[in-house]
Amino acid sequence: MNGLSHPQLRADIVVRRDDFHLKMAVEVASQVLVVFGPSGSGKTTLLQAIAGLVTPQTGTITLEGQTLFQREEDGPQVDLPARARRVGYVFQDYALFPHLTALGNVAYPLWRKPDAHRRSLDLLERLGLAPFVGRYPHELSGGQQQRVAIARALASSPRVLLLDEPFAALDLELRRQLRGELRRLLAETAIPVLLVTHDREEAIALGDVVQVIEEGRTIARGEPLAVLGYPPQSSVARLSGVENLYRGRVISRADQEGVMVCRVAGVDLEAPLGEQAVGQEVAIGLRSRDVLLATQQPHGLSARNVLEARVTALEAHSPGVLVEVTSGDLTVRSQVTQQAVTELGLSVDKPVWVIIKASSFFFVAP
Amino acid sequence: MISDAIWQPLRLSLQVTALATLLLFLAGLVLGVLLARVRFPGRIIVETVVLLPLVLPPSVVGYYLLVGLGRGSPIKDWLGLDILFTWQAAALASALVGLPLMVQATRAAIAGVNPSLESAARTLGSSEMGVFFRVTLPLARRGVLVGLVLGAARAMGEFGATLMVAGSIPGRTQTLPLAIYDAVLVQDYALANQLVLLVTSLAFLGLWWVRRQEENGKPRRRPEPRKEPEP
Repeated sequence: MNGLSHPQLRADIVVRRDDFHLKMAVEVASQVLVVFGPSGSGKTTLLQAIAGLVTPQTGTITLEGQTLFQREEDGPQVDLPARARRVGYVFQDYALFPHLTALGNVAYPLWRKPDAHRRSLDLLERLGLAPFVGRYPHELSGGQQQRVAIARALASSPRVLLLDEPFAALDLELRRQLRGELRRLLAETAIPVLLVTHDREEAIALGDVVQVIEEGRTIARGEPLAVLGYPPQSSVARLSGVENLYRGRVISRADQEGVMVCRVAGVDLEAPLGEQAVGQEVAIGLRSRDVLLATQQPHGLSARNVLEARVTALEAHSPGVLVEVTSGDLTVRSQVTQQAVTELGLSVDKPVWVIIKASSFFFVAP
Repeated sequence: MISDAIWQPLRLSLQVTALATLLLFLAGLVLGVLLARVRFPGRIIVETVVLLPLVLPPSVVGYYLLVGLGRGSPIKDWLGLDILFTWQAAALASALVGLPLMVQATRAAIAGVNPSLESAARTLGSSEMGVFFRVTLPLARRGVLVGLVLGAARAMGEFGATLMVAGSIPGRTQTLPLAIYDAVLVQDYALANQLVLLVTSLAFLGLWWVRRQEENGKPRRRPEPRKEPEP
């Protein structure tokens, strides 16, 4: 997927500040590149440099073959002002103009264009905001504000769209709902997208390619589930949290009972009913704290998934212990307390039973 | 009917205040933006100098103007502007005394505009002028207006500096505050009463409007984005 299409945006820059050193290279083709890293890793600075709001010490930024910025030891110096770059930037707090309505915000970049009103209305309608065109930002919900901000960025006919933590201002439930919507929207816009986030689910749900950065340096790059699902590098795993993420296939659906069976690594798991048809591929997630372990086969449980497994690793993970178990080819991580490890006598190779409620599974990519 | 004794100083006061307000607006905006957004060496010194008329005796401000506008000054000799003892000189003196109020309010209002909104406007294709007139100024307008009204009210009440640079020529430079002083000197207390009531009413209206703006401004804190389920 990566490298098949010619990169539209290329940035290779060094930004130095008092306490902070960012050296980073990114390439975005006709796809969604997610830059994934913890807070303070320089993600926002990267976007600001591309948009022309921050000046790197050295480096090169090119977009569709045009040089936006260039500063090397010798050679020509280029630093296009932000207004001339045609880079759409969706700010983390959306930065909507509070004195303008939704329509006024979207029409802002179309100032003095003859069809500004109609084009803004079209855009708002496309994003499902037709009923809200006359509302001011503080009269809109977080999700609506996000869409107005995206519509406003698109109205400037950008050649690339930059999204800074697009869900940071929203709560968890809303994030999951809106992710699918944003994914569809980004696919429709057909311009390259560079999105930065510190949320692993978000990176997997929205990215075609993910690039993991830490302290301003790239430590992994590739297909999101491959890089973040079971990170081969412990550094990536540490950054991305301890969720279990799987790719599987729907085996059967029980619509009336609201469940379906997915085969993951040769193991059949019962999960909540999704939109996927039988035979379709699914990506599902499971929080490590939602996985129970038992040393004897449990009876009379309501949980739908009870698997025979073996402990393969134990790792201290504040505030407890992360226990890795395998059942056939399936690896599951379970977060338990230190006390539980002692009482159950958990150690490597010990046989255990893994208990997972069907409703604990969640679908990651739509 | 309004007698000439009231009408002449009122008309002059309005004329002087109008010109002073225009000067206040232009100078206050430039200085407010400079002090709020540009970091330059000597910024605190410039700010202090702008504030000086607030604490200096008006006669000192008037004296500086007298020297600055009189014979031998660049303004008179090079530009050929001879405005001493005209109502324009009274306007200039009034503007200078009102400037600290205008600059303080404008600077605070502009500093209060979220810089990321200005950044957003730049990425949407706005030039620096466009950013200022379409984002910064509309968002700071309440503070700028309050500063302007306070400055104008102060300008309308100017007495000392005006007396020094424009004199107190009835019908030409004698504004309301000067006419009151004259009326008391000649012991015309009926006229003095009327003029005092007039000035007090105008000042009251100005301050009342400012207070009302400040009250209305209070609930305009940025509300948290509402978290509702989406349709």
